[in-house]
Amino acid sequence: MTLARPAARTIFAVVGAAALVSFFRSGRVSRWMPVARYAVDGPSMEPAYRAGDRIVVNRLAYLRCRPAAGDVVVLRDPERAGHFLVKRVAFDVSQEEAAVYVLGDNAGASRDSRAFGPVPVHLVVGKAWFRY
Amino acid sequence: MSRPTLQSIVSRGLRAFDGVAAPATADAHCDIPCGIYDPHLMQIAALTVLRMNQLIDGLGDDAAKTKANLGRYLLVKEEHAELAKREARVIWGDYFKPEHLEKHKDLHQVTWDIMKLGGKNKQEINTQAAQDLLAATQRFAEIFWDTKGVATKKQPSNQAVGGEIVVPA
Repeated sequence: MTLARPAARTIFAVVGAAALVSFFRSGRVSRWMPVARYAVDGPSMEPAYRAGDRIVVNRLAYLRCRPAAGDVVVLRDPERAGHFLVKRVAFDVSQEEAAVYVLGDNAGASRDSRAFGPVPVHLVVGKAWFRY
Repeated sequence: MSRPTLQSIVSRGLRAFDGVAAPATADAHCDIPCGIYDPHLMQIAALTVLRMNQLIDGLGDDAAKTKANLGRYLLVKEEHAELAKREARVIWGDYFKPEHLEKHKDLHQVTWDIMKLGGKNKQEINTQAAQDLLAATQRFAEIFWDTKGVATKKQPSNQAVGGEIVVPA
C-alpha cells in the first residue's frame, strides 16, 4: 500500500481544503463559525480602518457581555438587508432596550446611529478582533 | 531578510484565503445608498446651454433689451454648463465601477470631455461647443444605460432648441 499513500494524502488534502472553503463560504456568515472575515469599504472609520482593510471579527465576543463603548463592531445594516456596516459603539442605550448607539470614527463621512438611531444588539455580528 | 512574524504569517494566510473565498463587505460609507442615478438631467442641461447660444445669436437690434437679455442668457448658459459637469462627476464618481470601465474604455475620456466642454461653454458663446457638449452627454447616457443592461435610442428633444436626447428604448 506504499504506492497508494501519496494519492490518499492528496485526496485528503483536497477534501480538507474543500471543507475549509465551505466553512468560510464567500460573502456569507455561517452561523457556526466563531470568526468571520470582512473587507472594509468606505471612509467612515478612518483613520482606524481604511477602505481595503481586512478584519477578522470575533462573533463570540458578545455572548456573555454587551458591546461596550469604544468597541469596533460589525453589524447588519438596519436599513439594507444583507449588508454589513463597521462602526464604533458610542454608548449602550439602556439595559432594558438592548440597543447600542454606533458612530463612524470619521463623523463627517459616516451613516450611523445619527441617521438610523440605536441598533438592536441582535444586529451586531461581533467585535473587530484584528486587522490583516 | 527579517524573520516573518506570526502576525505577517497569519495575515498572509488569511489574505491568500480571501483569494479563494472573498470576505463579506463591511460598509463604512457616508452616502445614503439610494442608488438612483440618471443621465437625463445632464442632457437637459446641455440642451439648455445650446438653447442659450441660439437665443444669444438671435438677439435683435434693440440695444437696451439686448443688454438685459444677454446678461440673463449668459447666466443661465453658465449655470447649466456647470450643472452638466456636476451631474457627470457624480455619476462617474459614485455610480461607475471598474467592470463598467472594462466594457466601456471611453468612459473616462467622455467624462473628461464633458468637464472640458462644460468649461469651454462657460467661457465662450460657441454653438459648436454646445453641440459637442450635448453629444458627449448623449454618449455618457448610452454608456450609463448599457451598464444597466438597458437598450437606448436617440429621440428628438421635442423642445424649441431641437436636438436629440438618449433615453431608454
